[in-house]
Amino acid sequence: MPAPPPDARSFRSEVVSVVPCGADAVLLTIRPEQRLPAIRASRFFMLRREDGLSPAIPRPFSIYRQHGDTIEFLIKVMGRGTSALAQCTPGMKLRTLGPLGNGWPTLSGGGAPWVMLAGGVGSAPFYMAIEQALAGMDSAPPAQRSDLVYLFGAAHKGFLYDVDAFERLGVRVHTATIDGSHGFQGNVLQLLGQLQRDGQLPERVRLLACGPERMLEAVAHFADERHLDCWLSLETLMGCGVGICNGCPIPTNPEGPRGSWGNVKCCVEGPVFKSTEILLGALH
Amino acid sequence: MARLETHVGPLRLRNPILSASGTFGHGLEMQHFAPPQTLGGLVSKTVTLKPRPGNPHPRIAETEAGLLNSIGLENRGIEAYLRDVLPSMANADCAVVTNIGGEKPEDFAAIAALLDSRPEVDALEVNLSCPNVQGGKLPFSTDAKLAESVIRGVRAVTTKPLFAKLSPNVTDIGEIARGCEAGGADAITAVNTLLGMSVDWRTGKPGLNTVVGGYSGSGVKPVALRCAFQCARAVKIPVIGCGGIARASDVLEFLVVGCSAVEVGTSCFSDPANLARLAAEIDALLDERGIADLASLIGSVRLPGPPVATCAPGAAPATSAGGGR
Repeated sequence: MPAPPPDARSFRSEVVSVVPCGADAVLLTIRPEQRLPAIRASRFFMLRREDGLSPAIPRPFSIYRQHGDTIEFLIKVMGRGTSALAQCTPGMKLRTLGPLGNGWPTLSGGGAPWVMLAGGVGSAPFYMAIEQALAGMDSAPPAQRSDLVYLFGAAHKGFLYDVDAFERLGVRVHTATIDGSHGFQGNVLQLLGQLQRDGQLPERVRLLACGPERMLEAVAHFADERHLDCWLSLETLMGCGVGICNGCPIPTNPEGPRGSWGNVKCCVEGPVFKSTEILLGALH
Repeated sequence: MARLETHVGPLRLRNPILSASGTFGHGLEMQHFAPPQTLGGLVSKTVTLKPRPGNPHPRIAETEAGLLNSIGLENRGIEAYLRDVLPSMANADCAVVTNIGGEKPEDFAAIAALLDSRPEVDALEVNLSCPNVQGGKLPFSTDAKLAESVIRGVRAVTTKPLFAKLSPNVTDIGEIARGCEAGGADAITAVNTLLGMSVDWRTGKPGLNTVVGGYSGSGVKPVALRCAFQCARAVKIPVIGCGGIARASDVLEFLVVGCSAVEVGTSCFSDPANLARLAAEIDALLDERGIADLASLIGSVRLPGPPVATCAPGAAPATSAGGGR
């Protein structure tokens, strides 16, 4: 039976800072009671205030950055749970569960370029993905800066959270906005197509994507048509993050490697899935 | 250090804390968060005769004071449970309770017969009350005769202690509890989730794919406490309280109204390690009040005057450690 990762724990963290980011997000930095080992990009934590202001269930957030004994989250303020977190002040304590989930696959150097497609707050799992790919993951050869292409898309520039920080990582960064307020006018898949037509990217790329479900569905379709390797990090409603509430089922592709059961639990079997393993259309 | 041991019929528990079915996995998945030796027992997610894929997404919807769910008893069936889960429970250092469900009365007995010979299982809990199958009709937990006949059917095939898990969605829960007692149950679990729904007025979309589902969490505690109280007064067998329990004081409230143990569910979602801390917190509360034995609290509710009007006819008189007032 799928179980939470053996390194996951329940602990308290102290809020270090809450800094506004973009039009509607915050960067929340917390210091866990005990220093955490290095965490793989696209793993996540469940966060909740315990002072009665948070709703009944915690909220999942991808780790955004890790510095020394602190961890940082990019949080788009959307409802009661995220509002409560955004209103935290330094010194407050948060219930923290994690690290949870599987994280990105090994982002090895030396093959086709890795193209990272981020939609809005879907950028969260990519900052450390780039850092870890450049450093070398799982004993694989490190990726070169020129092999990492970060395509950051959003409805408008206010949702291109912290884009300067990505540019400072020294990898190839392109932006796309639906309203044309920053970079390419259109979505990230249209931007990818444009870069390929212009010869700036080869046809053969390896894809990572995180963003709204309809975006991920389109990315999976794009990858499927071209037989590209593609991994998706899902942003799905979760009740617990540890596999016990059964509230985050993702339908499996019956012909894929996980097809023996009709769904996977996003929290303990994901949140990263190969695009061929799952069926996204049923989620909306 | 207060004595926390409690008994649910023939089953001895080191403390009154059990996980509630469907909120803590099937087996030992959560042992890193809540080691079995900190618990009275682990209750499995409901196991059915055949695998069930569960209901479509969305299956959960948060509300102001709790959570709606419509999981639909997703599980891989009794065969997979016997093969893949139970062997790992052989050395679990707490009571192991298998929760069983079915669509037809004979399903329950068929599963119970398969579990009867398994030494890993200390007790069976019969889920008469899942609101997320058969369109929320709750056939087995709204009719005392049917509840009795399901329990009788299970009783006929197993000697293991039997808990009957009841629904709060009834007019007189005491009557259903008495039916289960007559059918041979060793304990009543009160209660499963309340039927509920949520809707987004802007889009008109219900929160759950199945529209209605089971409501749980802190918002249901007063209803659950009332149900547990009415069951405790309606039957002679022990009652296990369940519904909205998150803190040590919640546990003690259920004991005071007559429960011998409790099951803790939705609060595990916000912090699964909470379950492991409850026994120590209860111990601290009892020490504070100079109470040496948890058992002395059971049924110690002090009722104002004669039996309350909502109490079913034929109920046992109030028992009160401090004398009824």
